[in-house]
Amino acid sequence: MSKTVDINVHHVTRIEGHGNIVVRAKDGVVERVEWQVPEAPRFFEAMVRGRSFQDIQTIVSRVCGICSFTHSLAALRAVEDAMDITVSEQTDKLRVLAHYGEQLESHALHVGYLVAPDLLGVKSVVPLASTHLDVVKCIIRCHRLGNEWMELLGGRKTHPVAFRVGGFGRLPSIAELKDLKKRLEEIIPDLCTVADVVLSLAGGLPAFDRPTEYIALTNPGEYSFYHGPIASTDTDEQVPVQEFERVINEYVSPQSTAKWAKWHRDSYAVGSLARFNINAHELLPLAKATAAKFGLEKGCCNPYMNNVAQIVEAVQVVEHGLQLIDELLSAGITAEFPKPKPKAGDGAGAVEAPRGILFHRYQFDENGICTGANLSIPTNQNHANIQKDFEALVPQFLDLGQDKLRLYLEMLVRAYDPCISCSTHYLNVEFV
Amino acid sequence: MSDCVVIGLGNTLVSDEGIGCFLVEALSQRADEFPGVDFEELGAAGMRVLHAIAGQRKAVIVDCAIMGTEPGTIRRFTPDDVRTIKSMPGFSLHEGDILRVIDLSRVLGEAPEEIVIFGIEPALLEDCEGLSPLLTDRFEAYIAEIAMELR
Repeated sequence: MSKTVDINVHHVTRIEGHGNIVVRAKDGVVERVEWQVPEAPRFFEAMVRGRSFQDIQTIVSRVCGICSFTHSLAALRAVEDAMDITVSEQTDKLRVLAHYGEQLESHALHVGYLVAPDLLGVKSVVPLASTHLDVVKCIIRCHRLGNEWMELLGGRKTHPVAFRVGGFGRLPSIAELKDLKKRLEEIIPDLCTVADVVLSLAGGLPAFDRPTEYIALTNPGEYSFYHGPIASTDTDEQVPVQEFERVINEYVSPQSTAKWAKWHRDSYAVGSLARFNINAHELLPLAKATAAKFGLEKGCCNPYMNNVAQIVEAVQVVEHGLQLIDELLSAGITAEFPKPKPKAGDGAGAVEAPRGILFHRYQFDENGICTGANLSIPTNQNHANIQKDFEALVPQFLDLGQDKLRLYLEMLVRAYDPCISCSTHYLNVEFV
Repeated sequence: MSDCVVIGLGNTLVSDEGIGCFLVEALSQRADEFPGVDFEELGAAGMRVLHAIAGQRKAVIVDCAIMGTEPGTIRRFTPDDVRTIKSMPGFSLHEGDILRVIDLSRVLGEAPEEIVIFGIEPALLEDCEGLSPLLTDRFEAYIAEIAMELR
């Protein structure tokens, strides 16, 4: 096989902002390996300046169509931190429950619509629906349930309207929670089927390990997506969310308009595999059994296994969601609709988006008007790590030739489940 | 019981990209005039269209569209009238192409009998809130045209 490759996966339009893969090697000598992110800066931080503390979560939910609940919740946590607002146990549980709907929805979508086609050698889920209809229907039922779960608690399938500073503007009824519980119980066989199908194809995931620093929230007694300080696989130190800038250490790379991040090494990774590597000991039984099926264990540093960790987490959120519903049902739903008062302050919030830890920080004046903001999204935190993976992967797989190498690089980017083109979704058509 | 859904798509923080959301939000305020019609503003969550149209008799999708026409133009078409020329690397769930979602819905056998798309050619696609002056001026005309489809 030739050891000369020239890969240029180029999808640049400034407004849509995709990533580019550029690899050049001649006679086995790697000359250039780059993961480029040319997305135009979005300036969301400027958009929230001058807005009321009560509106921030609604505005920033529009940053992302997939992670809109996570953005809303990170904003609420930061606003409440700035205003010294403590939410009730009921609010905390309902928010975590709502957030789990987004985790299920996003993970099902990613594994089913992007990863499965790779493993089955087709270009998208559309042909897959013709050849593997039963499996695709399983995936769609998971995705659909995630959507309806989000709608019940967030008031809408996306861009939630029920979340308020200090609590909720609308609370679910006991009957709605009981119905959700029934539906979560019913989805477990579908999740097991999806796991079994991916397991049967997991040999198609490249064998590629690169020692990596992983970063995620951690909290004793739970597999955290929402609570606790920031932890790393490289240190025992845990950093309070209020000091998140000490972790992300953002810097600028000439090959990217997005900022990059690093902590103890040149780069770090966030996402499902990071959470698994830090919190796997807290998984519930079925999720733990799902990880065991794949032989996924703490310390895994194969980035392609992020896809498997997503399946494990999809099971985890359903399993823990059922527990949370039981707790809410036994306590009963209290009609609490707090009306928080603004105060001047600075606050930070962190929530684990499906694709990794998300940080928000805001400053407010005494009237609760936002005077400053800083958002650090998980995909930006992963960019440097994708580059480092590329640099290690290309020499290892150069022998496979251009087409296979290109596929492996594209699969690697997909494995990180990046959020790099959320800005626009317009149709682009020609009439026939 | 509704058997028709009107879906607004787009990002309201990217000027005219959000036109579908703004129009469907405005139409939903007049929902009493349209019995049997549900309105869903799905923002930038393109894949969720799959679920919103499943099992409906008719779906009307309102979205910003690059059609090669004059900015501000509204055009009614069906998915079979067009082909997508959107280039996507397939890296991310965040890429959206509603025409491919409709393809999937059809393969699954849950697509509505009738799907109508109203595309509005943008005048401005920059990160800012609110519509361009051109689309703002024509907003009520767009509402009237879509409303005719629902009566």
